[in-house]
Amino acid sequence: MGRRLATIRGSALALALAVMSTGPGVLAQDGQYAVLMKTLSNPFWGAMGQGVEDGAKEAGIDYFIQAVESDQAAEPQLNVCNTMLERQPVAMITAAINSTNLLPCLKTAQDRGIPIVDLDANLDPAVLEAEGIEIAFRIGSDNVAAGAQGAEYLVSRLGAEATGPVLVIEGLSGNITGQRRAQGFAQRLGELAPGLEIVASLPGDWDRGKAASITNDILTRHPDLVAIFAANDGMALGAVEAVYAAGLGDQVTIIGVDGNSDAVKSIRDGRLNASVAQLPYLVGKQAVENVKKVLAGETVPKDIAVPTLVLTREVLEEGSEPLLQYVK
Amino acid sequence: MSSELARPGLWTRAQRGSVERLHIRLESLLVLLALAAVMAALSPYFLSFSNFLNILLATSTIGILAIAATFVISAGGLDLSLGSVMGLSGVAGAFVTVNLGVPWGLGVLACILTGALAGTVNGQLVTRALVPAFIVTLGMLGIARGLALVISGGRVIYGLPPELLYLGQGRPFGIPMPVVIFVATAIVAHCVLAYTRFGRHTLAIGDSEGAARAAGIRVDRHRRVLYTLSGALAGLAGMLFMARINSGDPTAGLNYELTAITAAIIGGTNLFGGRGSILGTMIGALIMGVLQNGLNLLAVQSYYQQMAIGAVLILAVFIDQYQIRKETRS
Repeated sequence: MGRRLATIRGSALALALAVMSTGPGVLAQDGQYAVLMKTLSNPFWGAMGQGVEDGAKEAGIDYFIQAVESDQAAEPQLNVCNTMLERQPVAMITAAINSTNLLPCLKTAQDRGIPIVDLDANLDPAVLEAEGIEIAFRIGSDNVAAGAQGAEYLVSRLGAEATGPVLVIEGLSGNITGQRRAQGFAQRLGELAPGLEIVASLPGDWDRGKAASITNDILTRHPDLVAIFAANDGMALGAVEAVYAAGLGDQVTIIGVDGNSDAVKSIRDGRLNASVAQLPYLVGKQAVENVKKVLAGETVPKDIAVPTLVLTREVLEEGSEPLLQYVK
Repeated sequence: MSSELARPGLWTRAQRGSVERLHIRLESLLVLLALAAVMAALSPYFLSFSNFLNILLATSTIGILAIAATFVISAGGLDLSLGSVMGLSGVAGAFVTVNLGVPWGLGVLACILTGALAGTVNGQLVTRALVPAFIVTLGMLGIARGLALVISGGRVIYGLPPELLYLGQGRPFGIPMPVVIFVATAIVAHCVLAYTRFGRHTLAIGDSEGAARAAGIRVDRHRRVLYTLSGALAGLAGMLFMARINSGDPTAGLNYELTAITAAIIGGTNLFGGRGSILGTMIGALIMGVLQNGLNLLAVQSYYQQMAIGAVLILAVFIDQYQIRKETRS
């Protein structure tokens, strides 16, 4: 009996060891950068992680990167953050799940004099000020500018004198990112082509199916719809399906945001007209490069906006746009 | 291990002693110690007082939910709404203190009462409407999460009064307050389940509901008390997390019900009732906490962590079943 039990206990140990040896087996050394992401199970964050890796390699920086199982695991991310501090990193680059879940960890980091970077600008400046946390810098895409670029593309295609109804599909109701994109689009459109009227601005909850049904509803009311701006590519692709199903593919210009691989494919196929691509790879890379500057005592801007790029069929086919290499 | 082989009586006696006196299986304690030894060997950062506190802090909310799960499960019930009720309670506490401006003490009360109320509804539906516990608490999982999102508008409610923050961020004698509250709760809960009539009734109902009824235990009333207690503990966990991050987060505790149940099962609670101890559950929660902390220190992807915990769960129940077979044979 005893021997069999010992085998069971032995195999538990072996299992634990086996699990651990599959991970990156390097032990931490001093001088590492800690990078905490939301999750890596999505192309956007994967590309950002790739940018961090390449940036660190080029700059000769030692780093370790961690993420949690989903982009809603708020407390697990806080726990991972605290654990990362045990390894005494020299810098803490964090993409917080929401504006408050990492606060205790960031405070501890600050008390230890570890510079904090707000990756993808998820922290709320007002909250940081109230908590007395000072970050080194925040880096990410400017969502208002991304929306404005969408409007600029639309006007360049239809002309400043164009008229007709336009539909805006926002993100999850209450989500700041989606709101900013929609707001940037509406503002610039009003400036450039006042004849294009936004007849509805509705939350599509980042959901492809919901965006498709919104599009259907609006097409029923406004069969002369000329354009749709969706706050992300998934919703834009939903709109594409609805528009083509209604046989109005040539009449309606559809624009998304993100530049994800599905959208690129649709643009190449000539269905989606454009996507304002974020460049998460560049965000990750520049984050690491700028932390190196901060640690070397140089000053960097507090707000680093990484450019966004309007992807169209022409841009993709020409392939001469230098930022295109960062679209992953 | 070889000494056990030479003197098999010692191992058996140690096993029996730990079950009788401490209400835990010796095997789970050994797994915990072995895991800690492996982690200490692999990571130079594992063995430190601050990391030890770190593990306890990371285990505090899950640990309190696991206590709740142990009470309900050992009476043959099930509470799948734990994580959602935790999220709802935190939002309720933050809402009344931040948006309505009530004093901090009422904020604490709001968290715990919200949880207790959700638990009471569960208990009433299970015992009076005779809807299976799985269905009732699965329904409550959705209702509580949805309500948390409705109250908060989908966003965190930030900016709690400082007294409330102390409960989540204070460090009396260097020990984080959530750890103090968690450990105190665990000790009280252990004594209640192991040494009181209430605890004995709980286990008796889980063992055989018919026999418990025949023995004069008011089974339905006892069940309602257990679900209310479970909800109140989820409210306490919600309050602690809320105070830690200075805000009510509607997504707090997502999927925690399954993690809490896992901790209880690894700790030796019988999924079908009749057996369970809080000390065992705490060891289960710590096994998971040490595993996660160690793998985090080694920067192992979270995907592997989920696999490791899944494997430990199956292994724990396997050892358990093996022991039971052995005992019934001898």
